[in-house]
Amino acid sequence: MINTAGGVTGGDRFDLTATAAAGTELTLTTQAAERAYRAQPGETGRIRTHLVVGDGARANWLPQETILFQGCRLDRHLQIDLEASSRLLMCEALVFGRAAMGERLTDGVMQDRIDIRRCDQPLFQDAMTFCGDVAAHLAKPTVAAGAGALATVIFVAPDAEGRLAPLRRMLGSTAGASLIGSDLLILRALAPDSYALRKVLMPILTDLLAAPLPKPWMT
Amino acid sequence: MPTDSQFLILAQWFSPGYPVGAFSYSHGLEWAMTSDAVSTATEVQDWIATVLRDGGGWSDALFLAAAYHAPHIDAVAQTDAQCRAFAPSLERLRETDLQGAAFCQITRTVWPQTHPHGIPSKLTYPVAVGFAAKCCGLPLRATTTLYLHAFAANLVAAAQRLAPIGQSEAQACLHALAPLCRDIAEQTDDGDLARLSSTSFLADIAAMKHETQHSRIFRT
Repeated sequence: MINTAGGVTGGDRFDLTATAAAGTELTLTTQAAERAYRAQPGETGRIRTHLVVGDGARANWLPQETILFQGCRLDRHLQIDLEASSRLLMCEALVFGRAAMGERLTDGVMQDRIDIRRCDQPLFQDAMTFCGDVAAHLAKPTVAAGAGALATVIFVAPDAEGRLAPLRRMLGSTAGASLIGSDLLILRALAPDSYALRKVLMPILTDLLAAPLPKPWMT
Repeated sequence: MPTDSQFLILAQWFSPGYPVGAFSYSHGLEWAMTSDAVSTATEVQDWIATVLRDGGGWSDALFLAAAYHAPHIDAVAQTDAQCRAFAPSLERLRETDLQGAAFCQITRTVWPQTHPHGIPSKLTYPVAVGFAAKCCGLPLRATTTLYLHAFAANLVAAAQRLAPIGQSEAQACLHALAPLCRDIAEQTDDGDLARLSSTSFLADIAAMKHETQHSRIFRT
């Protein structure tokens, strides 16, 4: 499914709305990693995604990672609207610079927001802004201790509580999980690069999905 | 600048003696220190500075200001719901929920004007403080500065219980963090929640790890 054709650059606008009607299951992924390229001066790429998950429906939002290139300017917002009995698995992974090419992200602007609402009330919200020397910021011991990749996983389901202990056993020292509400589980993971992050994420997502990951993840 | 009477209300609210139970929360610092990620006074200061600037300090300051500027009671309740949704882990949610509830309970008894009809019975800590400051006619910037300073002071005190950090060293560390509290208060006084951001990932992960820490003296 969906990917921007080749990547995002300054001034681009992408809007996507997807609905999982009541009682259905919808899985969305991307055919390749998303790339946020260097932007032209004064331009910012904008991505808006809106998922609507009906009663008794389940949405799996599993795009492959987004790679932030040197000089990128990206403003991204993911909004997810749930009903009382909707289920959700979502994962967003960010890679800061092309490590394999020795790129350090010393100039980048990224504003990223996730808003999950249930029955029109805020359920979970995440917001992060990076501006300028992102590599220096990530080097701080309380931020990421030099990690180059970050993932956020959110799982909303009645059996979330039972998933917590096994999930925790799969995590090393730079990843954590917490059950914030009785059916709301969040996981945050840092890794040196996108390859190491995938090694952490793939078994976790397979487990939470209770099915094999979408094919593009396997290539 | 606050007047003398305003100043004394703020001194009372942010004194360690005000019964919100701040001393029992370490914001994940207990895990960071037990796992040896943080051990010296300099590392403690850096950890707190990052949490202030890029974590709970920055977002709390924005929520406090948003509650202060809220045009009506419904807007206070909406700000509170958003503040709960912004908690990055269970213990962080408890920290703001329980301190906020305690602050509401005592403050509404002593200053009844902070308990208008229709206000939710419990508010998260920064929302409770912002709303109460508005009801008492206290200046926002001084309120936020002292809120952040009390937050920093509490973490410095927690660090002293967890590692051999001397009194003078601890107080020098807090003194060095003071200008940051003032700067954040200045930068957040519009209460614009579109500027929320939290990137202190390893502090958040430490708070998650703390949930399963076997031997611990703090609730978070």
